[in-house]
Amino acid sequence: MNALPAMLPETTTAGGFLLVLTLILPFVGVLAALTLGGRHARRVAMLAIPLGLVLSLAIVVEAVQTERTLVYLLGGWAPPLGIVLRADGLSAVMLLTTAVILLAVALFAHADFDTPPGTREARRPFMFWTLLLAMWGSLNAVFLAGDLFTLYVALELLGFAGVPLVCLDERAETLQAALRYLLFALLGSVLYMLGAVLLYGAYGTLDIALLAGLVRPEPAAFAAAALMTVGLLAKTALFPLHLWLPPAHAGAPAAASAVLSALAVKGSFFLVIRLWLDVMPGIITPAAGQLLAAFGAAAILVGNVVALRQKRLKMLIAYSTVAQIGYLFLMFPLAAGLSAMQLPNDPAVTGGLLQAVSHATAKAAMFMGAGLIYATLGHDRIADLAGVGRQLPMTLLAFALGGSALVGLPPAGGFLAKWLLLSAALTTGQWWWVVVMVVGGLLTSAYVFIVVMRALVTVDAGNTPKMVVPRHREAVVLALASLSFLLGLAALLPVDIVQIGRPQPFAAGLP
Amino acid sequence: MNTTVVLLGATVGLPLAMLLACLWQPLRERMLPWLALGAVPGLFASWFAMRDELIVFGNAQVPLALAIDRPGGVLLGVAALLWIAGGAYAATYLGEKSSRDNFVVCWLMTLAGCLGVFVAADMASFYALLALLSVGTTGLVLSEGTPRAYRAGAIYIGMALFAESLILAGMVLTVVSAPGNSLLISAAPAAIDASPWRIEILVLLIAGFGIKAGLVPLHFWIPLAHGAAPVPASALLSGAVVKAAVIGLIRFMPIESAPWAVGATVAMLGLLGALYAVLVGITQSHPKTVLAYSSVSQMGVIVAIIGMGMAAGDGSARLIAAFYAANHVLAKGALFLAVGVIGLTGARRLPAMLLPAAVIAVGLGGLPLTGGALTKEVAKSLMGDGPAGVLATLSAIGTTVLMLHFVFCVRVTAADDDEARAPAGLVVPWLVTAGASIVIPWALYLTAGGYSLPDALAPKALWSALWPIAVGSLLAFGLVRWGGSLPRLPEGDVVVALDAATRAAGPVSAVFGRLDAVLRRWPAAAMSLLSIALLFGVAIVAGR
Repeated sequence: MNALPAMLPETTTAGGFLLVLTLILPFVGVLAALTLGGRHARRVAMLAIPLGLVLSLAIVVEAVQTERTLVYLLGGWAPPLGIVLRADGLSAVMLLTTAVILLAVALFAHADFDTPPGTREARRPFMFWTLLLAMWGSLNAVFLAGDLFTLYVALELLGFAGVPLVCLDERAETLQAALRYLLFALLGSVLYMLGAVLLYGAYGTLDIALLAGLVRPEPAAFAAAALMTVGLLAKTALFPLHLWLPPAHAGAPAAASAVLSALAVKGSFFLVIRLWLDVMPGIITPAAGQLLAAFGAAAILVGNVVALRQKRLKMLIAYSTVAQIGYLFLMFPLAAGLSAMQLPNDPAVTGGLLQAVSHATAKAAMFMGAGLIYATLGHDRIADLAGVGRQLPMTLLAFALGGSALVGLPPAGGFLAKWLLLSAALTTGQWWWVVVMVVGGLLTSAYVFIVVMRALVTVDAGNTPKMVVPRHREAVVLALASLSFLLGLAALLPVDIVQIGRPQPFAAGLP
Repeated sequence: MNTTVVLLGATVGLPLAMLLACLWQPLRERMLPWLALGAVPGLFASWFAMRDELIVFGNAQVPLALAIDRPGGVLLGVAALLWIAGGAYAATYLGEKSSRDNFVVCWLMTLAGCLGVFVAADMASFYALLALLSVGTTGLVLSEGTPRAYRAGAIYIGMALFAESLILAGMVLTVVSAPGNSLLISAAPAAIDASPWRIEILVLLIAGFGIKAGLVPLHFWIPLAHGAAPVPASALLSGAVVKAAVIGLIRFMPIESAPWAVGATVAMLGLLGALYAVLVGITQSHPKTVLAYSSVSQMGVIVAIIGMGMAAGDGSARLIAAFYAANHVLAKGALFLAVGVIGLTGARRLPAMLLPAAVIAVGLGGLPLTGGALTKEVAKSLMGDGPAGVLATLSAIGTTVLMLHFVFCVRVTAADDDEARAPAGLVVPWLVTAGASIVIPWALYLTAGGYSLPDALAPKALWSALWPIAVGSLLAFGLVRWGGSLPRLPEGDVVVALDAATRAAGPVSAVFGRLDAVLRRWPAAAMSLLSIALLFGVAIVAGR
C-alpha cells in the first residue's frame, strides 16, 4: 500500500498482469475440470498448480526487485469506481506459501483421489480436485483483493470450497462437522458483511487503501471494527469460537485436513491483519489489541492441554491447530506496542506472518503424515503407534521435524517467528505474552515427544501393514516438513519480503 | 581458506555431515565404528585454530559466526578427547544391539551440539546448537528403551526446553540492548551491562544455564538422565555435555561488572548445592547415580567459581572455571567409562581396574598431585578464606566421601566369574581417558602462565590438599561402618515434588477438557460470539 494512498492515484505497475493470471488460473482450472469432467479433473489440477507456483514465484521476484507493491487496476478503472488487485510483501509470501503447500498436497493426494479404472467419473476424486482448485482460487483472491467487498466474496467462496472437503467421506459425523463449519462460517460472514456495510455507509468506499485515509474514530467505524473482527475470528476458529474446527479437521481425508488446517484458516487471519494494520490502525485501541491476544493466549493454553488429552492422532493435530491459531494473534498488541513507542513494527508483523507460514507448512506435513500412518495401521490411536518408526521412518522424521517447527526449535521458521515476537514483546515490556509463548512451547513439545516416542517403540512380531505406502508419498511429506524446519534460514535472505510495500505507521495504535 | 576456517568449520561440520549421511540406511548401519572420528576435528581445532579469530558465515544482520577463545579452547580440547574415547568405547559397548541405529543418530546430534557450543560465536548458532544438543541427549537417555529411561528422557527434555526458553528470553533481551542489535556473543557482556534490563537478563541467563548445569534445586534431571543412559552416553553427558552451561556462563556473564549481590548469590547457590548433592549422593547405591550426584556437586563448585568472580569483578574466573571444568570432563568421563569396564571384570583383574578408578575418584576431591588438587589450588584465589572458602573445603571433604562411596558401590558390581575380563575395546578407551585425566590438567596448569611446578609441589599446597582428603576418608569409612542406617532417598530426590505436580495436573487438564467441551456446544459458542463482539466494542470505545 502506498504511504499516501488518498493523494496519489494508483496505476497498474509492471508485473501487475501476474496478479490477474494468478487470480484467474485456479478458476480457469475449475471451469476446465467441470467442462472436461470426470477423470480429467486431476490432470487439470496437476497442470494448473505447478503453473501457479511459477506465477507466485514470479510475483515474489518482481516484488523483491521493484521493492514495492504490485498493483493491477481491472479495466483501468481506479478505485473507488474500479476494482484493484494488490500484492504487497504479505500477499506475495502467502501466495507462494499457498502454491507450495497445494503442490505438496496434490502430489500426496494423487494416489488417494484417482478415478478407478473403467469408470468414467467418480464423485470423490472429481469433487476433491475441483474443490482444491476452488479453494486455491479463493485464497488467491483473499490475498490479492484490494477492497472489502471482493474480500467478502472470496471469503464466502473459501467457506463453500472448504465445507464439502470436510465431508468427502460422507460419514454421518463428517456431515455433521461440515454442517457446523458451514453454519458458523456463515455467521462469521454475516458479521463481517455488516461491518463492511457500515463502513460503506459512512465513507462511501470499500477500497482498503482509500478507507485507510478516510476512517475516523467515530461510532460507525467502532461498530464496524468490532463486527468485522468477530466475524473473521469465527472463521479463523480462534478460541472460544473453535467449535467447528476439531471435528472438521480431524474428520476430513488427510489431504483435505492438510489444506483446511494449513491454509483455509489463514485466509480469514490474513484479513484480520489487513483490517487491523492497514484499514483501521487508528480505530483499534491498545485494549482491543490486548483483548485479541488474550483470546490467542487462551487458545494456546486450552488448545495445547486438550491436545495432550487426545487419544487419536488426527484429533491431537486438530487441537494443536486450535493452539497454533492462538499464536497468530499475539502479533497485534506487539505491533501496536512497537508503533506506540515510535519503533518500526516489523518484528511483530514479520514474526506473525512467519508464524502463519511456519504453521501452514508444518501442519500440512503433519496431517498428511497422520494420513499415511492411518493408512498403514488402519487406525490412528496414539497408544498403539508402536512400530510406525520401522514402517514409516520418513513419515515419522517428518512428524518430528514438523513438531520441532511448532515447538520453535532452530532453525525452524517457528523459531525465527518466536525470536521476532519475543523481541517485540520484551522491547515493549509485554512480558506476559512471553510467558504464554514459553508455556505453549513446552506443552507443544510434550505432545510431539509423546507421539514420537510411541511411534519409536519397536514391536517384536512385525505387524502386517494394512496398506503399503509408496515411498514417494512419504517423500512429499518429508520434503514439506523439511521446508518448514529450514524456514528459519529465511533470516539469511537479503530482504525481508514481508515488509515490501508496508508503510511504517509510527503513530498507529494511538487515537 | 586458512586452517582456522577449516578446523572450526569441520568441528561442527563433520558431525553434521555424518548425521546427514545417516539419513541413508546403509551408511547408518555402518556408522557405529566411525563415531570416534567425528570429534577429531574438534581436537585439532582446540590445538591449532587461531584464538579469537572470528569466522563469519551468513550475512550482516545474522552473522553465523565461529570463533574459539581460551576458555572455549580448553573445554573443546578435553571434550573432543572424551568424545573420541567415548565413541571408540561405544563401538564395542553397543556392538550388535538393536537400538544402535537410533543411538548413532542421537550420538552424532549430541556431538555436533556439544562441540559446536564451544566454538559458536553468535547467539543464533549457539542457541541452535544448544537445542540440537538437547534433542540428541534426550535420544541417548532414551536409548535403553526401559520405562526408567522413558521417564528420565521425558523429564530431561522438559527441563532442557524450559531452560532454553529462559536462555532465549535472556538472549533476546541482550540482543535488543546491544548496539546495532549485534548477535555476537562477544558483545553480550557489555550489552547486558549497559542494558536497562540488566537484572532481568542476568536472572534469566543464570537460571537457564543454571538448570543446564544442574544447579540445586533444579538438578533432579541429572541423576535420572545420567543414571538411565548407556555407559558411554552417561560418560559424555556427565563429562562433556553439561559443560555447555559452563561455557554459556563464561561467555555471557559480565563478570567484571556484575552486581556483587548477584555474584554472591550464584556462588552460595553453587556451593550449598555442591554440599547438598554430596549428602544425597551418599544415600545412593547405583554407581552411575552416585557419579551423577558428584557431577551435580562439581558443577555447583564451577558455577560458584563464576559467581565468586562476579562478586569480586575478577575476569580471571573465566579461565579458572574452564580449567576446573576441563578437569571434571576427563575425570568424570573416565569414571563413567570405568563403571562399564568393572562390571565386566572378574576378581582376578579387578584391582588393576579399580585402582586407577579410585585414584581418579579421590582426585576429584583434591588428592595431591592430581588434576583435582591443581584446580582447587587455582580456584583458591577466588574462593578466598571467607565463607566461600570454608564451603569449598567442606565440598572437597564431601567429594572425597562421595567418591570413596562410589568406589565401594562400583566394586560390588564386578563380574561373578573370577576370570572375566572386559573387552579391549572398552578397556583401552577407558585407560586412555584415565591417563589423559592425570596428564592434561598438569599440562594446562603449567602452560597457563603464572603457575609453576614448585608452586604445585610446595609442602603447604600439598598439605592443604591432603587434609580434606584425610578427613573425607575417615568419614567414608565411618559411612561404610554405620551408613546402613542412612535413609534411601529416591534417585532424583526432589523429583518426587514433580511427580506430585504431575498427579495434580491430571484434574487440571480434565477441567480444561470439560471447558473445551462446554464451549464447543452451540449455545455456548453463540454466546461467545455475541460477548466477544460486545467486548471488542467496549475495548474500542472505552479503551481510547
